Amino acid sequence: MRTGAELDVVELAAGIVLAGAVLALWRKDLRALISVLSLQGAALATVAAVLAVHDGDAGLGVVAGVVLLAKGLVIPGLLARVVRADPGSRETAPLVNVPASLITAAVLVVVSYLVAGHLTALFPGPLTRLAPLGLATVLVGFFVLVTRRKAVSQIVGLLLVDNGVALVAFLLTAGVPLLVELGASLDVLLVVVVLQVLATSMRARFGHIDLDQLRELHD
Amino acid sequence: MSTAAYLIGLGIASAAALLGAVLPARRRLLGAAVLSSAACLAALAGAGDVLVSGHAFSLHTAQVLPLTGVDLSLDPLGAIFVVTTAVVGLAVSCYSVGYGAHQTPSRTATAMLPAFLTTLLLVPAAASLATFMVAWELMALASLLALLTEHRRRRETRDAAQWYAVMTHIGAAAILLGLVLLAAHAGGQSFAAIAAHRRHLSVPLASVVFLLTLFGFASKAGAVPLHVWLPRAHPEAPSPVSALMSGAMVNLGIYGILRVGEDLLGGGELWWWLVVAALGVVSAVFGALHAAASTDTKRLLAYSTVDNIGLVLIGVGAAGALAAGGEQALAGLVLLAALFHLVNHALFKGCLFLGAGAVQHAAGTRDLDRLGGIARKMPATAVLFGIGALSISALPGLNGFASEWLLLEGLLHGFASHSAVTEAALLAGVATLAITGGLTATAFVKALGVGFLGQPRSEGAGDAREVGPSMLAGMGLLAGGCVVLGVVPGVVLPALDRATTAGLAAGAPRAVLPGLGLALASVRGAIDPALLVGGLLVGIVVIWGALRLVPRSADLRSPRRAAAWGCGRELQTARMEITATSFAEPLQRVFADVLRPDHDLEVTHTAESRYFPEAISFHQRVDDAIERVVYRPVMAAVTWWGRLARRVPNGSVHRYLAFGFAALVLVLVVLA
Repeated sequence: MRTGAELDVVELAAGIVLAGAVLALWRKDLRALISVLSLQGAALATVAAVLAVHDGDAGLGVVAGVVLLAKGLVIPGLLARVVRADPGSRETAPLVNVPASLITAAVLVVVSYLVAGHLTALFPGPLTRLAPLGLATVLVGFFVLVTRRKAVSQIVGLLLVDNGVALVAFLLTAGVPLLVELGASLDVLLVVVVLQVLATSMRARFGHIDLDQLRELHD
Repeated sequence: MSTAAYLIGLGIASAAALLGAVLPARRRLLGAAVLSSAACLAALAGAGDVLVSGHAFSLHTAQVLPLTGVDLSLDPLGAIFVVTTAVVGLAVSCYSVGYGAHQTPSRTATAMLPAFLTTLLLVPAAASLATFMVAWELMALASLLALLTEHRRRRETRDAAQWYAVMTHIGAAAILLGLVLLAAHAGGQSFAAIAAHRRHLSVPLASVVFLLTLFGFASKAGAVPLHVWLPRAHPEAPSPVSALMSGAMVNLGIYGILRVGEDLLGGGELWWWLVVAALGVVSAVFGALHAAASTDTKRLLAYSTVDNIGLVLIGVGAAGALAAGGEQALAGLVLLAALFHLVNHALFKGCLFLGAGAVQHAAGTRDLDRLGGIARKMPATAVLFGIGALSISALPGLNGFASEWLLLEGLLHGFASHSAVTEAALLAGVATLAITGGLTATAFVKALGVGFLGQPRSEGAGDAREVGPSMLAGMGLLAGGCVVLGVVPGVVLPALDRATTAGLAAGAPRAVLPGLGLALASVRGAIDPALLVGGLLVGIVVIWGALRLVPRSADLRSPRRAAAWGCGRELQTARMEITATSFAEPLQRVFADVLRPDHDLEVTHTAESRYFPEAISFHQRVDDAIERVVYRPVMAAVTWWGRLARRVPNGSVHRYLAFGFAALVLVLVVLA
């Protein structure tokens, strides 16, 4: 049904989304993480755009534009401002070191392929075959949330989860309604703004943005 | 007619609860009391009609409760509980006018008492699982709030409420589990459907259901070892609430055991009822012992409730065991005695709690060691409390005697049954009746003698004034009931006979002959309390007259006057009189292994010599041994587990996120 070239592009873009998530585990430089995010945003927008062209769906085209704008430009831009305020800050000592993280990511990808078997069986097709990539992105993003210390890394983890969810949505439903995608994008944007404010005030009050040190607030 | 009267009663009682909350402060108390009295009278008429005619009513509406609707049905067994509640409720409503008058009554207090009453009237009429559980939980909630109304800022009150809430919720959970299990296997949730299906239940399933519900109902009834909330909640609750709890609410535990064991499960196995009887024996002895050792009036009364519920459980257990052995006539007699004792207990314990409340109200304390001399300050209260105390001690001419005589007759005649195990249980029951009779008499000689006679031991007791007419009327109603049922017990026995027949799965023949006295129908045995009382009165008059005729010596014509109970001493002070603690001391020594009193003796010597003490202080506490042995270790274990669990969330965001992540991956792996 779909031409080979279009499918190739979608497959490549979906691969880039997952590769970006794994890249986020590997790189310690916070600026690199932000570049990874904008790469992922662009890949997602590509998926949406290809689907829009193929289906001739103008609404999906607008969604692609919104995704490119929000996830590819605005959110990474906001994060870059946080990082610029604290140059040279790196994810120095993650709770799980990089090699172990990469191995875990491999395990998570296997798990998501096992689980997504049920999803793809519902509506077998060349696109649903890619759904495990989105699921793996969600799991890897969650893993970033669990193991990385800096507030910016946490935001990146959250955005990875969101990107994974968006990818699964594009692939399984072949087009999210415009309204839903707009709402989701707006939510994510809001979360990023809140987290940015939080990170800034954390630095102002405690002199760092290391979440692990917040433990003292317990009790 | 009975349906309408009963429903009108429920309606008025709910209206009383509503008005108690919204009326202006001055009208609140009287408005709620008048309406709840009217509600009790209406419910009394409705349930009384069911008892007299023997015709049950039932109705169903799909409204109110979603999915299941409400099923109400009142048979003679339920009606006897409604009647008892209504009589105690009438007295309590009357009493509450005077009790609450000394301060502006809070909305919660005036609203919760009628609300509690409504739920008490509702429970025995519930005829389906859903209706029953809703009514049961409403009752638990209303009683908990009513308990908290008076001294909610006191630590003891909050403790008591906590204990009560935990015990009642564990009990309700067990009942719910049992009934749901039953309904699931009986193919319906209405009691009629379950009872129709009872022959198809397997014995192990029925036994599990019975044990679960027995646990729940025993915790409401206050049977040892689930009694721990009673000696805490009853003293701390306002006295009208204590009277309702002890006179009406604990009865519903017995009702539940009978309803599930006999009606829904059809009598079941012999050993079920032996377990019930064993619970009864332990409760009766333990309760009576602690009542004899207590120095707090209301704590004493609470333990005495444990004792009396134990006697009722012995009766219920013996009746079930005899019925399981096919001895319907004897089973009917014993169950009739148990139900009669339940009714009598409601009357005299209600009267005693109201009396204790009146004394606390007037003297400002309920500690027997700080009371004394109340009889001279509050003569009417003393007489009414005295009638209650004599009734509970089972003195002839009062109702406690009538029901305990019946129970004893039933148990003794049961020796003719063919099962050795049942005979052993009956023997234990007879022995328990004997020992608790003595202990109860000791406890109430102490309460009356130390609390009401002698000289005041504190300023509060010295300044006590007689309480108002509404409070006396409330106590008087219940004390009057004690006297009437004691002298002419025959007036209520036909109604109790109908309740007994409805209460046993296989029915029962008539247990007593019609008449004013007690005459057994199936076995030999009769006694007429009216003749007994008449003979006693004639005897007293004759002796008094004879003494007047005998010429007196010169000494007796001009007697020297001294304080009563002072052994003729001129300078008798309150410090020289026997206290409640010292009165109970010999008994405490005998039963030291069970009661385990904690003594604390401190002697301060003078500076010059160790041979001359300057001050001696003595403190004694009698804690509940079961609470210490059973509950404390469980609570310590729960606390330890809680501490351990608190280490898991240590404030690290990453750890919390890891929990979520692990849970997500686990769920996914399980699904895959």
